[in-house]
Amino acid sequence: MSSIELQNVSRWYGNVVAVNDITMSIGPGVTGLLGPNGAGKSTVLHLIAGFLAPSRGKLTVGGVPSWRNPDIYRTVGLVPERDSVYAFLTGEEFVRSTASLHQLADPPAAARRAIAIADMAQAQDRKISTYSKGMRQRIKVAAALVHDPQVLLLDEPFNGMDPRQRLHMMDLLTKLGAEGRTILLSSHILEEVEQLADTIQVIVSGRLAASGDFRAIRRLMTSRPHVFLVRSSDDRRLGSALIGRPAVTGIELTRGGLQVQAADFGAFSRELAGLARDQDIRLRELLPEDESLESVFAYLVES
Amino acid sequence: MSAERGVIGGSPAASSETGVIHDIGYRRYTGRRLGRVQIVRALYWHSLRSAFGIGRGAKAKIVPVIMFVVICLPAVANAVAVAQGQPRIVPYDTYLFQLRVVVMIIFVAAQAPELVSRDLRSHVLPLYFCRPLRRSDYPLAKLAAFITACLAMIEIPLLLLYLGTVTQAHSGSAIWHQTKALIPGLLVGLMWAVLLASIGLALASLSGRRAYATGAIAIYFFLTWILAGILIAVTQRNVVRAVLIHPPPGAPRPPGVPASGPILVHSTTQVPTTATHLVGLVSPFTTLDGVRQWLGGTSPGPVLGVGHYGPLYGAMFLVLLAVSVGGLFARYRKAGA
Amino acid sequence: MTMNAKFNTVVASITLRAVFGRKRAILFAIPPLILLLVTLLLKAARPPGAPWPGRILGDFGFSVILPLTALIIGTSVLGAEIDDGSIVHLLATPVRRSSVILTKFCVGAVLTMAFVAVPELVAGLIATSGASKLALGLFVGALVGSVIYNAVFVMLSVLTTRAIAVGLLYVLIWETVLGNFVSGARVLSVEQYSLGVANAIAHDKALNAGLTLTTALIMGVIVTIAALVYATRRLSEFSLKGDAV
Repeated sequence: MSSIELQNVSRWYGNVVAVNDITMSIGPGVTGLLGPNGAGKSTVLHLIAGFLAPSRGKLTVGGVPSWRNPDIYRTVGLVPERDSVYAFLTGEEFVRSTASLHQLADPPAAARRAIAIADMAQAQDRKISTYSKGMRQRIKVAAALVHDPQVLLLDEPFNGMDPRQRLHMMDLLTKLGAEGRTILLSSHILEEVEQLADTIQVIVSGRLAASGDFRAIRRLMTSRPHVFLVRSSDDRRLGSALIGRPAVTGIELTRGGLQVQAADFGAFSRELAGLARDQDIRLRELLPEDESLESVFAYLVES
Repeated sequence: MSAERGVIGGSPAASSETGVIHDIGYRRYTGRRLGRVQIVRALYWHSLRSAFGIGRGAKAKIVPVIMFVVICLPAVANAVAVAQGQPRIVPYDTYLFQLRVVVMIIFVAAQAPELVSRDLRSHVLPLYFCRPLRRSDYPLAKLAAFITACLAMIEIPLLLLYLGTVTQAHSGSAIWHQTKALIPGLLVGLMWAVLLASIGLALASLSGRRAYATGAIAIYFFLTWILAGILIAVTQRNVVRAVLIHPPPGAPRPPGVPASGPILVHSTTQVPTTATHLVGLVSPFTTLDGVRQWLGGTSPGPVLGVGHYGPLYGAMFLVLLAVSVGGLFARYRKAGA
Repeated sequence: MTMNAKFNTVVASITLRAVFGRKRAILFAIPPLILLLVTLLLKAARPPGAPWPGRILGDFGFSVILPLTALIIGTSVLGAEIDDGSIVHLLATPVRRSSVILTKFCVGAVLTMAFVAVPELVAGLIATSGASKLALGLFVGALVGSVIYNAVFVMLSVLTTRAIAVGLLYVLIWETVLGNFVSGARVLSVEQYSLGVANAIAHDKALNAGLTLTTALIMGVIVTIAALVYATRRLSEFSLKGDAV
């Protein structure tokens, strides 16, 4: 019910194709929309939020198209990227007005609750023009949450936040996602999304490059070697034994340990333990070097 | 960051076995740096180009080009007529007053913000002022550029008209006659350009948003212009003159009039009053026309004579100019806005 | 497109605060002040010439003061929000787009009436020393003009980010220049609608009205409704551009 469905959605401006034939389905939980700057993440978010019409394709939120349909905002909350808020209102007035516009039964109470969730209770009676950038982000989140939406769309939500605010926001989003809401956030900062998102959708140059669990995506790309860091009782001997195996494509002896490039992750992991035992070498640590989203990203972009 | 200096270049006759490490690291500019005068000149030139939309897209050129064509039309039309033997009817010192007013209002309102409001909006001023540029150089360059642009708009039509007329003249004295008529016209044009550019830039510098700047300029010029026109019309006095006329004997006479002898006729004319002479001060355009007439301009204009108040018009011109230029320079004394 | 547009008090209060929160609010007090000042001066000076109340309050008032004040007000009830993007927070709610347009239009129209129609009435009373058909005619004409101008300028604000420039071109070129020289253009001139209504009450030649009451009212209603409907339609298709494009 609270799912977002895109089917062959494209959006172009004259000769420039911003979103190119994207088909994806977003369900409950936290989904990260990833991609380099200019890839089309904001465009996709605006399309889903009903602030842009698809040039082609079908796009529905909870079963209904979002374009020209103000009623979807009863279940959808949007936190736009642009810094613009009504600067002359206080935080509380802004959230309360939004609650009234959502035709809620008790706007002041809803506003108070939403502001508490966004941890803005201390500053709520100050004019928004006096807020820092991170505070503005949080009051925007409060306004987007005031009507208790099932779907929450956030465009670069961590922009301008300091580490403490970022942690708080991540906790909040995790909690909301665990409650069964559909949270979609866009970012080009990989560390944030890595910790937060259960699923990712990677958009590169307007196309959907990958979707799903990022570890699973990683494993799908067997054309690139995996890099592991192995620490053992005798790295050099282990290295010379490993280089003889077909699953291993490169060895480097570094101060931190043995850096192994393996083309076939499965075969390598099966063989490493047996090899170490045969050579009488104690394995101390085996770490994947590049399983962070960073390298997923970089590989996707480069390929 | 360690910089590994390598041997760069070397004679081709050197041994081909030696390797070379090129350090393309951070390099300082060691060439000649241009000074303050060149900066001002570059800023002037760049602003002058912006005034006509040169160096920007096609959309930026629409308004200035159309306005330029419109203001040149009467000159070209008259020049063509002169080539066919007609006299020059467009005067040099007033040109076509109404047309010039409308064109200049639109040109100044549309283009002054292009020079000034864009820099304010993008907060670029601190970047300008961290160069060897004095605080007063920026408005000076902008003002000089916009005055030049307005001069072009006003004087080029006059020159076109002059050239068109002079090439048809057959005698040196006719050429001299034309030239004598042109010079005051050029001077009047100079006054126009200086005043309108100053007011336009001063008003535009008040806002970073081009739409508001355009609105403020257009409203000021338009409101005062219409007001002056209406006030001039409204403050005139009706004067009834009684005239005795003597029709020749035998001429037909209207009914009700004695069959012979002189006839008393009343005619009503509109005559300017003191107030009429003064209300011209309300608008910069009528002020300029008042100054022109005070300095001896004879062609008819919207101001119906200045009487004894000529110096007042001159003073008003100077006051408007001083306030605009002063305001413009004061605006940029604190940068970072 | 639903036509169950209701006036929305929340939108109205935000709009009012937005309009008066900016320094620009002073700007729309200036033209009516000038009108009053000129009226007072002329009243004191008692110029013997042409009947001036009709020309100043009608011609100058309706060709300059009314449209320009309405332009400043009409473009600030919606234009600035669209320009800086804060309209998204309003539109990301189930509030009907027609309500948004209607509310903002009403706020603008009422403000224009307060800042132009009332001064026109006051100036008319001063000029003619007491209640007269001219003062009443000017007042009603200005009320009508406030409504129509605001509908047009609110629509312009939705259509283009350069609403002030387009509005200025309309007032300066279409209404003033063409309206005086091309008689056909009068049918599409809001100034003429206002003057037509004013003249129907005041019967003053100095107003220079070119249209009959019927034509003025019919065209006025058509223009107002068309403008508001079109504005609602465009607002419901309001788009946010992406980052790179």
